[in-house]
Amino acid sequence: MASALTVLRRLYLSIYNWLVFIGWFQVLFLALKALKESGHEHVYNAVEKPLLLAQSAAVMEILHGLIGLVRSPVSSTLPQIGSRLYLTWGILWSFPEIRTHILVTSLVISWAITEIIRYSFFGMKEAFGFAPSWHLWLSTFLVLYPTGISSEVGLIYFALPYIKASEKYCFRMPNKWNFSFDYFYAAILALGIYVPGSPHLYHYMLGQRKRALSKSKKE
Amino acid sequence: MKVTLVSRSGREFIKGGLELNDSATVADLQEAIHKRTKKFYPSRQRLTLPVPSGSRERPVILNYKKSLKDYCDGNENTLTIVFKDLGPQVSYRTLFFFEYLGPLILYPVFYYFPVYKYFGYEEKRVIHPVQTYALYYWCFHYFKRIMETFFIHRFSHATSPLSNVFRNCAYYWTFGSYIAYYVNHPLYTPVSDLQMKIGFGFGIVCQLANFYCHIILKNLRSPDGSGGYQIPRGFLFNIVTCANYTTEIYQWLGFNIATQTVAGYVFLVVATSIMTNWALAKHRRLKKVFFFYLSNY
Repeated sequence: MASALTVLRRLYLSIYNWLVFIGWFQVLFLALKALKESGHEHVYNAVEKPLLLAQSAAVMEILHGLIGLVRSPVSSTLPQIGSRLYLTWGILWSFPEIRTHILVTSLVISWAITEIIRYSFFGMKEAFGFAPSWHLWLSTFLVLYPTGISSEVGLIYFALPYIKASEKYCFRMPNKWNFSFDYFYAAILALGIYVPGSPHLYHYMLGQRKRALSKSKKE
Repeated sequence: MKVTLVSRSGREFIKGGLELNDSATVADLQEAIHKRTKKFYPSRQRLTLPVPSGSRERPVILNYKKSLKDYCDGNENTLTIVFKDLGPQVSYRTLFFFEYLGPLILYPVFYYFPVYKYFGYEEKRVIHPVQTYALYYWCFHYFKRIMETFFIHRFSHATSPLSNVFRNCAYYWTFGSYIAYYVNHPLYTPVSDLQMKIGFGFGIVCQLANFYCHIILKNLRSPDGSGGYQIPRGFLFNIVTCANYTTEIYQWLGFNIATQTVAGYVFLVVATSIMTNWALAKHRRLKKVFFFYLSNY
């Protein structure tokens, strides 16, 4: 009985990973195409549908971790997916004025390459039991994380005036629960979190890389 | 007797080891280490017995009151101890004082000063009675905590890492300001008079009960803090292990019933989860130390 479940699990995860891989491949392809044909202002419009789909699908990974389908701890997937969803839905989708910014291009390309490598790696592992070029992925993050994070921070920063002006997602006082929420201040807080958060994450990835490279050296 | 000190990586920590009296205590060893290394005062030292490599057991921490002989194997007159630096330490008194000082000072700032001008609101005109009572309740609470820190609580030998000062102050000071902002807000909406009275009344009763719990805990130890782990008895301790946390949680509930802010309730939830974790750990510890604890509780 146990092995049938294992097969089912592998089948499901293979399909999941390869589907999302295709999504991100589309994003990269359409982004580069739009960049070449129309310029950076049109990248978002070209990639919007597969981007929203592929990025939102990542929520499944939290579920996978919670029910024990995969080994990744929820504590590390949650902030990563959180920041991605915040940028995708909370900034880009919510404030159209920012969509033409050039940082959208660098963001989308950084994310797409990272995810293409990541999902193909997991897709191969689940489907075939092994995956080559683990080292490739570990080393690309050295470039893609700084470019991705800078794009994220930059886009939040440049979106601030639009956030303030639109009053979107704000909840004002007076009300009987004496509660208020200001999306503008929340965005500033988010920027603040990137200050300690980014070096912490990067340092963690460096450690992962060192460990995996030394392990493969021993083999 | 000769004591060899190693770091956790196995390197000799003090070259040549230390020579101590056969009747020396762990405290004497700590003093000797401090004298040799100057930097590592006793509360910074974590001294453990070596654990065989591969073993997943938790190392035995040396008790400062015991004599070194108690840790020696058989008749040997030598001892190997593993040393770890815990980093700069502060006494719990110091830690608590700075944690509680923040809320005590920051909250009145939002009440008395035209802070809201900087958030874009005109100067406040109306102050509701509940906001004044909340100020008194809040400040009394943190004043009580500081007084208890200096006059009631009997701290064991333990200290806390210096980094905890920043972490704990961030927690108390941020939440204190967050709650103060909303309770003293110019657009604050008060609850009914009855609800306010129930909230504060219940809160005051719980604060008194909490104070009594602290007295009971204090009497378990002698003035220098020795006494270690004991089972608190009497009053609410007959019902829960950490009645002091229970009364503290309910006291905050009273404050929130009276002031009704999301900020206050968020704080309540976070504080409750932290104290619940502590209480579960203490209950487990007491069960381990006093294995008959379970039969009655």
